[in-house]
Amino acid sequence: MRISESPVRSVIFALAFILAVIDITLLSTRASRTEAASTGDQATSLAAWSEISTVLQNPRCLNCHQLDSPLQGDSRRVHIPHVVRGKDNQGVGAMRCGNCHNNMGNNPTSGTPGGLHWQLAPVSMLWQGLSSGDLCRAVKDAKRNGNRDGAALVKHMEDEALVLYGWNQGKGREPVPVPHEKVVEDMKIWVAGGMACPN
Amino acid sequence: MITLKVNGESHELDVSPEMPLLWALRDRLHLTGTKFGCGKAMCGACTVHIDGQAARSCSIMVGEAAGKTITTIEAVSGKVAEAVTQAWQRLDVVQCGYCQSGQIMSAIVLLTGNNAPTDEDIDLSMEGNICRCGTYVRIRHAIHEAAKSLV
Repeated sequence: MRISESPVRSVIFALAFILAVIDITLLSTRASRTEAASTGDQATSLAAWSEISTVLQNPRCLNCHQLDSPLQGDSRRVHIPHVVRGKDNQGVGAMRCGNCHNNMGNNPTSGTPGGLHWQLAPVSMLWQGLSSGDLCRAVKDAKRNGNRDGAALVKHMEDEALVLYGWNQGKGREPVPVPHEKVVEDMKIWVAGGMACPN
Repeated sequence: MITLKVNGESHELDVSPEMPLLWALRDRLHLTGTKFGCGKAMCGACTVHIDGQAARSCSIMVGEAAGKTITTIEAVSGKVAEAVTQAWQRLDVVQCGYCQSGQIMSAIVLLTGNNAPTDEDIDLSMEGNICRCGTYVRIRHAIHEAAKSLV
């Protein structure tokens, strides 16, 4: 009996058809995600924000987005020793951030974290106690984000020294749980989708 | 080689840039007036001046301090330093003394930027210098006394 006339041939054709349909569906889904990212889609933007907010509310970021004194460590305890903001966000008198925190990075011996221009975030960028939605509105508000538009926010996430510290946190501290490249991608999607915020 | 400018003299040191400055000061340059306390910037015993700022030498790395002006307790000088050390002696501030070089270094920075500090100014500036003998009342008094002598 020739194979072309056998039931086996029908099965092969059926399997090929199913695989083709699956492939087309996957391609279509991928294309629609890319489309949403590039042209903006509110649902995609909201989903991206959801992940961004977990990063911004991580102790590596939030500990220094406080009102007058930073928090410390993964437990978010009060900074020891006690320090206060001062006029330039870098402390007062003989208690300034640079007294202990090195511009050149973490100190592997003392365990003191470090990075370029270590400081408290400006008061306008107070994030402590904000819900995800309120944080979202704060981050996109030029009056509360250092006068940054969407592109500038993406760039800030990409290469600001103190942002990058979140992924180079030194021994004894947990890193930000989402990879840096992923958060930058999320920021791009969030901005492209119109910086959508949850209610 | 790393060049450290300490107490007006330049020193070439063959050390890692990540070495704590305190190690270099005490073990390489034998300036033992600066003390090791907690080793993690929480007690202030290791305070020195770097470009006029109070720095915790256990946590500031040699590479960070390179090329800057470093002053230790052995070489503090000038009007404010004299006012502080004289007030310290006059009021007999020191008890065991271990933390006192760090206390004095911080007090000098405070008074250099503010010659009439309030109690709150003193507390905020001296917060990082711990004294296990509890000489805080005498320290605060001595800073006020030094401030008066500077006016």
